[in-house]
Amino acid sequence: MSTTDHGTIEEITGKYVNVEIDGVDHRVYFEENGPKDGIPLLCQHTAGCNNQEWRHLLDDEDITDQFRVIAYDLPFHGKSIPPESEEWWEEDYELNAEQFAETIVSISDALDLDNPIYMGSSMGGNITLELADWYPEEFRALIGLECGAHSPGFHIDWLDHPQVNTTEVNAYSCWGLMAKQSPEQTRRETMYHYEQGATGVFKGDLYYYSVDHDYRDKLDQIDATECPLYAVNGEYDYLTDPDDGREVAEGVGEGATAVEMADIGHFPMSENPELFNAYLKEVLSDITGTREEPLPDVLETEDVGVKL
Amino acid sequence: MTNADLGDHDWWEHYQEVVNNDDEMEVRGHDKFNENFYVEIGDERFLIQVEHGKVDDVIPEPGMNNQWSFGVEGSRKAWKEFVQEVPPAFNHEIIASHYRSAVKEEEDHLQLTGSNKKIFQNLRAFQRALDLMRKTHNNGGEL
Repeated sequence: MSTTDHGTIEEITGKYVNVEIDGVDHRVYFEENGPKDGIPLLCQHTAGCNNQEWRHLLDDEDITDQFRVIAYDLPFHGKSIPPESEEWWEEDYELNAEQFAETIVSISDALDLDNPIYMGSSMGGNITLELADWYPEEFRALIGLECGAHSPGFHIDWLDHPQVNTTEVNAYSCWGLMAKQSPEQTRRETMYHYEQGATGVFKGDLYYYSVDHDYRDKLDQIDATECPLYAVNGEYDYLTDPDDGREVAEGVGEGATAVEMADIGHFPMSENPELFNAYLKEVLSDITGTREEPLPDVLETEDVGVKL
Repeated sequence: MTNADLGDHDWWEHYQEVVNNDDEMEVRGHDKFNENFYVEIGDERFLIQVEHGKVDDVIPEPGMNNQWSFGVEGSRKAWKEFVQEVPPAFNHEIIASHYRSAVKEEEDHLQLTGSNKKIFQNLRAFQRALDLMRKTHNNGGEL
């Protein structure tokens, strides 16, 4: 975690990379920390949000000693502006699975990453299934936080409505996705990040999340023997709960692992960074082969030495 | 735990005091939260009359002369879980609970009724008003 001493400059750096996605140039903002030759850990934010959700992971020395942590803003999110060559204001923003998966692979390619680990939460967790299905050769491993085969019911018109304060509603419709055990300060910060989204983008992302993404009958298409897949879901995530993660792992079979994270919710990296980073170290040690025991079905706070 | 029982007269009196002295309600309501809503605990219904972000009155068993924009219904078990200091997963917040009822079709979760538009227009203040039921229930119930 960062210190708060006056004058402290954090090690995290921010840059822009130009990325061609489906023939269109995009200017993508990303932040990173860690050794250039470290294992790349590419981090995707949740729907309607931006890479600030990952600031505590980007600042965790235990992880950045070994891993090159990179967190980007998807186009239309955070500091990644909409594509300059397109008249994007003439149509609703709407994300679909093909576009989302291609964007991630294109960003990884533009950054010239060698065999990165991909990790994302919520829609970033769900897309691990498409990535595992369509682009398994691109990644060392896939970590799907709050991952489910299907997550219906959240593509809601009120999240982009002229008679509703969408800035506030987009954030506070997510308030209950976090565990009450998570510190109030970081839960409030998570909502603060949410209140910065552009109009219509959260709802447009949720088109992918709740409508276009449906792997209930396609899990057996995924071969996770080459690229391991981890479905890591929080106990308090009411959208994609730990049973949804187990369903994914069982449906995919060999190479897929489900892990429940106790006492945490749908935004683990930002709602309770101390607990999440501790849980994540267990998963990363499994990926790098330094862990001797298999991961447990449920990771508890006492397993990782964190007191709530 | 409170000395008063969830939903009895003293409990609601304390609730009114908690809401009307809450700093966040003051900030988020901006005196503009003016929608009455009801809370149904098992087979008991209570109308929360809201004026300028404050609870003006709580009326048991509202009738034909009353009006409201939306409500929250649930079993006493669901409400008892909701007001716990650390509630169990999926009864820990109203949208969470409603999702588990409406989409997952599970029992014993709270469910929203009434105008969705009014709910979303007032979401944060309404959500805070419900969260303050938890604070009411867990600070000793002193009136």
